[in-house]
Amino acid sequence: MNTAAWHYPRPFGTRAVAIVIAAFALLWITGQRVEIGRMISMTGEAALAAVGIVPESEVADGFGAVAGKLFPLQISTRTEVSRIENFHPRHLPPFARIESVESTTQALNPDTLEMEPRTERTTVLVEPVGYLVHVAAKMLETLEIALWGTVIAILIGFPLALGAARNITHSPALRGVAGAAISLLRSIPEMISALFLVIAYGFGPIAGILALAFYGAGYLGKVYGEDMEGLDPRPQEALAAGGATMLAQLRWAVLPQAMPRFIAAALYVLDRNMRMATVIGIVGAGGIGQELKGRYDMYDYGHVGTILVVIFLVVFLLDRAAAHLRRAAL
Amino acid sequence: MDAPAISFRKIGKRYPDGTRALDDVSLDVPRGQFCVLLGPSGAGKSTLLRMANRLAEPTEGRVIIEGRDLTPRTMKPIRRRIGMIHQSFNLVGRLSVAANIMTGALPALGAMRLLTGVFPETLKTKACMLAASVGLDPAHMSRRADSLSGGQQQRVGIARAFMLDPAIVLADEPVASLDPRISSDILALIRDQARVRGATVLCSLHQIELARAFADRIVALRHGRLVFDGTPAELDRSAIRAIYGEAGPVPIASGGLAA
Repeated sequence: MNTAAWHYPRPFGTRAVAIVIAAFALLWITGQRVEIGRMISMTGEAALAAVGIVPESEVADGFGAVAGKLFPLQISTRTEVSRIENFHPRHLPPFARIESVESTTQALNPDTLEMEPRTERTTVLVEPVGYLVHVAAKMLETLEIALWGTVIAILIGFPLALGAARNITHSPALRGVAGAAISLLRSIPEMISALFLVIAYGFGPIAGILALAFYGAGYLGKVYGEDMEGLDPRPQEALAAGGATMLAQLRWAVLPQAMPRFIAAALYVLDRNMRMATVIGIVGAGGIGQELKGRYDMYDYGHVGTILVVIFLVVFLLDRAAAHLRRAAL
Repeated sequence: MDAPAISFRKIGKRYPDGTRALDDVSLDVPRGQFCVLLGPSGAGKSTLLRMANRLAEPTEGRVIIEGRDLTPRTMKPIRRRIGMIHQSFNLVGRLSVAANIMTGALPALGAMRLLTGVFPETLKTKACMLAASVGLDPAHMSRRADSLSGGQQQRVGIARAFMLDPAIVLADEPVASLDPRISSDILALIRDQARVRGATVLCSLHQIELARAFADRIVALRHGRLVFDGTPAELDRSAIRAIYGEAGPVPIASGGLAA
């Protein structure tokens, strides 16, 4: 063996070094612009304040104020009986009770024309977990919005994917149209389309469902199309060789092979929609986000706290359920 | 009745970069013949074979199947008359063996049956009979195609190719990805199934011994040109040199793979 000619190649060359330097330069410049330094110092200060080393910290005070407002969580509802239509004291909602509340207000006495204290007795219907039930119902609506957003996304996205996939649609013009539609749908974030859909359809779940469906359709159109193009082409060719129509090839070669990827992509969209459905409620598109925004605007931070806890619990439980399902499927 | 099953007339194939895959190839395959295409890798065997059902298009010349010109317009009905067996089986791995065999009959089905997968009893019976005649077990039918061994998968591929009683069977290197020991079994199966139905077979191979054992006629290509056309007995040492060049096919143990 000629030892002079043989040498083990170096693990990385000047190109790799240049890329690393360029990447660090990019992070340094952009970091300056978005004040990464201040973020680190403020966070550090808050951490020190939390253990008592530093007396005061803006960030720690901010977090403290938020936490203080959110707690105690508001889970009950109190409604004046006089405001409830067709109220009947014998037929109360479950777990509810009636309380009598005495309140003193300053009121103008029309005879003496002087302000006098007046005692009023009002009857209040107290539902101890009433607000929790209300939030749970809104959370359920959110999940329903996510589910239907996903279903409609599949119904729109799948035909678009067929139009865009090279091994299904041979006409370049048709593929171009489908591709443009997919790009258009993907280019509008849910939050933005929800704003406009609320104007068109009014407040409520319909706007939310359509906002999620449009974006999801663009995503699935792209992913399903790429999935179909990425399949082993040989089974499809075998059917084509025997004279099978494109419909037959699609049904018996493309779909059976693509199905696991299709399901995985649809589940990803559903997972994403569950979280997005919460957020788009803020612009009035139904569900728990709409409730959250309403309570936040009324400074009902106890209610906001309850909503946040419920969202956290539901996301946590869904993640656990999804993990279980995946294990069962494997 | 006297038109050949497959007729290649002055076939040429030139790629956009100027390379010639096939050059002035004319070949008539009469009905009922088991015709083997031999030749080194890249000689154009596969390309010529795939022109018989227009999976590949010639840039020059005509292909005539049972007396009809093979054009984009006549392609669909002509393809229904042709069964094809592939080198890597080309089954839909996630479907059952039964469904894979049934895909051979898809062109004969209406859109409704095709979409729902509710097949007529006659075709179901036929699929079972074919599965039995290619040597599959009843238990195989509901198993996923990709859970079978290569040899078993090719048996499924053969059953699929015969579902619509083809007049012509194209076999593109049907045993190239199989264990040499079962290659003869598979080729015997193709020959016997074709013989029973009077079907013409055009089969590309690269094992000279297998070609000798099964072919009625051997045709060989080298650099895209026809260099041999004769009976297995006529394929002598000088003919093999003409096909494979001075180096010859890579020497192999009997029944093994040639280069």
